[in-house]
Amino acid sequence: MNLKRSLLSGLLGLSITGAGIAAEADEQAALKVLASEAGLHEKARACQKLMVTGGPDAVPAMAALLSHEHLSDYARWALEAIEDPAAGEALRSALPKLKGRQLIGVVNSLGVRRDAKAATQLIALVRAPDRGAAEPALAALGLIASPEALKTIHAVLANGPDPLRVPAAHAALAAADHLAGQGDRAAAKKLRAAVAGASVPDYIRTAAKQPAAASAN
Amino acid sequence: MGGPVIVPASVLGRNGKTAPSNRVVVGAIGIGPRGRQDLNCFLRQPDVQFVAVADAQAARRETVRRMANRHYGNEDCHKTRDMFEILARDDIDAVLIATGDRWHTLGTVLAAKAGKDVYSEKPCSMTICESQELADTVNRYGRIFQAGTQRRNVDNFQFAAHLAHSGKLGRLHTVHASILRLHEDHNWLPAQPEPNPEEIDWDLWLGPAPWRPYNKSYVQGRWRGYYDFNPGATLPEWGAHTIDLCQWAAKADHTTPVEFEADGQTIHAKYPNGVKLVMRKAGFKGEGDWNVPGTCPVRFEGDAGWVETADHGKLAAHPASLLEGKPKKEMAGTDPIKHVRDFVDCVKSRRQPAANASVTRRAHIACYAAAISWKLGRKVHFDPVKEMFIDDDEANRMRSRARRAPWHA
Repeated sequence: MNLKRSLLSGLLGLSITGAGIAAEADEQAALKVLASEAGLHEKARACQKLMVTGGPDAVPAMAALLSHEHLSDYARWALEAIEDPAAGEALRSALPKLKGRQLIGVVNSLGVRRDAKAATQLIALVRAPDRGAAEPALAALGLIASPEALKTIHAVLANGPDPLRVPAAHAALAAADHLAGQGDRAAAKKLRAAVAGASVPDYIRTAAKQPAAASAN
Repeated sequence: MGGPVIVPASVLGRNGKTAPSNRVVVGAIGIGPRGRQDLNCFLRQPDVQFVAVADAQAARRETVRRMANRHYGNEDCHKTRDMFEILARDDIDAVLIATGDRWHTLGTVLAAKAGKDVYSEKPCSMTICESQELADTVNRYGRIFQAGTQRRNVDNFQFAAHLAHSGKLGRLHTVHASILRLHEDHNWLPAQPEPNPEEIDWDLWLGPAPWRPYNKSYVQGRWRGYYDFNPGATLPEWGAHTIDLCQWAAKADHTTPVEFEADGQTIHAKYPNGVKLVMRKAGFKGEGDWNVPGTCPVRFEGDAGWVETADHGKLAAHPASLLEGKPKKEMAGTDPIKHVRDFVDCVKSRRQPAANASVTRRAHIACYAAAISWKLGRKVHFDPVKEMFIDDDEANRMRSRARRAPWHA
């Protein structure tokens, strides 16, 4: 490592060798970087800092990056972490405008946030294979596990197109574990029974018949 | 009625060969130098048939293909860039995953969802949430999982843990885990032209890790220390082994410490039962304030004695009489041969291996919680049931990282 790189790292605060990043991860400073002509690296780091310190004020800046080829995923670091409803709203609002990887990334983040308000839009993606996000949308619905989400998962398992049946089974098992952990054993049992009776590989049907993972741990 | 069928003796498992029906068929995903050590152990198992490798780098997959074909004396090993080809094969029972850390959880989750058992190198996750996801998924699908924390199956470490369990140390009050120097590097190396994806598929190499421009150093193995690729301020690098061993010795496989506080490069933690966990530095060769030579030293202290051991296989204890019955042969702590055997046995018997998904979950979570306390520079309190920090939004936000699209589990 050369001296020039060491000095540059020190100046940019990009290398951490001691305790206490809280002070360096200042929301306003990160937002200033994002509004500037800084390069990709600095902006990526700003998003990562906002994962820890970002609040509602950071959401518009993150939302503006959701269509960016490289920074979209970094923006999702922050939007997945910010609990404020504005973060969920930003992700949902972006869905109709995005395609390809950026669309899939936002779908994933809505699943991670277990955003029940996104269920209708995600169901629409399941039914629109041309948008290329049907499978991740099913996975997200499995994480959300709202009544609306479960209805779609059940429908795809029973009558859905063949390529989506296995993803629906995975979503159903994830939802069943989540619901069992929440105490809704009846819904979990119904999902497991649906998978056990579905036209999916044996090992998945066998998994549906075993106790929930939550209790296995 | 048909006539008599002549069945070769090897099919029935005679002539020293294992019958195909009793063989575990293995594929591999992402095999570099450490992966080849693991693979060598798999190849040495008479009841394992290694059949395929997937790697983002052409040179690495060709090295592995040759290694397997040389071992079997045939040309049967299949190589591919696409791991999904391996996961889709019905004849493959288990996969060895030895990519960089960024792929370990996602690879394991995808494999479990494809019905495969998994041996994964460590650290097996990048965050607390990935540690949960890995264990939940493996258990959901009833798969056998062995983390590459092989010291659970190395004689001197087993002897030390059993001493702690036996009561011969008296009441256990402190366990010590060695760690490397804590640091995080957020730099990007200078951009270089991306190679042909057939040779090195940079996008695939990155996988779920955040994008950055290509530089050949990363794919040559020099990705360690970078925050995006090497999680937990590098604490899990050794901590995945040594904290795991401390969890085991303290009979804490079902839980984690409840508080963590960093003091410079040393982190102090406490289990719910009051046992202390001290994570402190050792030099890369194991030098430092330890009584035994070798990497990854651990020390278990009770009110009637202590024991210490490390990768060279030596044991130190007080009183010395504690070492009666110690293993006669010194085995390198880095040698995964017994650990691989344990995994293969468990794939066949369906019992849980030594470093199964549930114990790995807790040991890795302890690593990340400790690293987060170091990063925040203050004491953090952790709920081992909810697996969340208590009243600490900042710390809780560090439990997870978004995956780069299109990767998802």
